Amino acid sequence: MIIVDNVHKRYQTSHGPGKWVLQGVSFVIPPKVSVGLVGRNGAGKSTLLRLIGGNDQPTKGHVERRCRVSWPMGFGGGLQGSMTGRQNAKFVCRIHGHEDDIEDRLAFIEDYAEIGSAFDEPIKTYSSGMKSRLQFGLSLAFDFDVYISDEATASGDAAFKQKAATAFKNLMNRSSLIMVSHGESTLKEFCTAGIWLDSGKAHWFDDINDALNAYKESRSK
Amino acid sequence: MVQYDYVHPRTPLSITLSVWNALFLRESVARLSAGRIAWLWLLAEPVLQISIMLFMFIVIRMRVVGGMSTEAWLIIGMVFFLMFKRAAVQVQNALGANRALFTYRQVKPIDTLLVRAGLEGFITTLIAIIFGVGGIFFGIPLIPDDPLTVLLVFFGMWLMGLGFGLVSSVAVQLIPKMSVVLGIVSTVLYLTSGVILPVSNIPPPYRDWLMVNPLLHGTEAARMGVSAYYHGITGVDVSYLYKCAIIFIFFGLVLHRRFEAKLTSL
Repeated sequence: MIIVDNVHKRYQTSHGPGKWVLQGVSFVIPPKVSVGLVGRNGAGKSTLLRLIGGNDQPTKGHVERRCRVSWPMGFGGGLQGSMTGRQNAKFVCRIHGHEDDIEDRLAFIEDYAEIGSAFDEPIKTYSSGMKSRLQFGLSLAFDFDVYISDEATASGDAAFKQKAATAFKNLMNRSSLIMVSHGESTLKEFCTAGIWLDSGKAHWFDDINDALNAYKESRSK
Repeated sequence: MVQYDYVHPRTPLSITLSVWNALFLRESVARLSAGRIAWLWLLAEPVLQISIMLFMFIVIRMRVVGGMSTEAWLIIGMVFFLMFKRAAVQVQNALGANRALFTYRQVKPIDTLLVRAGLEGFITTLIAIIFGVGGIFFGIPLIPDDPLTVLLVFFGMWLMGLGFGLVSSVAVQLIPKMSVVLGIVSTVLYLTSGVILPVSNIPPPYRDWLMVNPLLHGTEAARMGVSAYYHGITGVDVSYLYKCAIIFIFFGLVLHRRFEAKLTSL
């Protein structure tokens, strides 16, 4: 369960405090409910994901995670460019307290990412698709209750997207997803509930289709 | 409602310890394997620096400083200052080098700084031992008369580097062009710490001004600790070095506490 309580967020700019990105956002994500975030560019989707993932603190209000939440996957974040894929993977295993079974998890990640010998090359030599593959394998190596995906599969090729979709499907039994995607079909496929972010407010919908419709209506105005 | 099976969360301490372990290994690999012979440069840099300075002292025919051979005088000053400088520089740059890792909420900015300070202290201690043993092998009088003072000062230089780095790391991130200012500050510190310029030659009113620099107290106290016959400057106080270090560390930790959110999201 994730509780987001009256969260406000604004960023500091070089000209003082910026405008509010999120203004009084409150909702509760029950266990095992996958949620899709929709809204136009700049509506605060990624900001909200960062707050849920604990990477950033709200300016006001608070976020409570009563389960194991992954880091936000997507855009190659969390990979150190000068280190190899393997070194990055080791690092992530260690900070999650898996020093003992590190070999098994490394084997899983290497196998899942399918990037071949590039696993032992520095990340800065990777394409964005290779980064996505590695990131995806990394996050699947741990048993999170909630996976946060910020367009995590956007830069992958068809084969990888297929593989990721299968993985997401298998996860449904034990975990849930919070995802941002501009692909309507992706959202419909994986999410039951939806959140529509509009001018700093969040609107909760029990059905993702309603969220998508509300978003579409706001666009056509 | 669905009953939620809650898995034991790790304690904050165990999370921090596993993050430090992971960061230490990551930093060691980066420090020792960046480039083909990165580990060699760690040692070669101070060796070259000392050799060049020694050559200059030979050219001006300065054989003895304050009753201590120039070789010993230079090596002690350089190695002790190196402890400060390397710790300070590495800690200062820790945030930029580990930015990608703040994606994981387990990793706090302060973790990267503390781990780097620890690693740098470890590496520089090894280098100091190599210099000490190597120097003694070549007949340079480096066997300390007062080993405890020498160790105390060496640790104090490391603490001072940590403190300086804690403060400057925040300053570099939050104030644009601060790295230029800090570059000038570190040059001034180098020249006024009695590492290459004997401060005893400077006349009294100005010498007292230099005594504000805690690193000068460190280098001079280290030389006095190695050779009981060394005529250092008067008024050297190891506790002053420690007081300054503690003030800097405290101030640095306060800055990190205050700006933690900002440092992760830059």
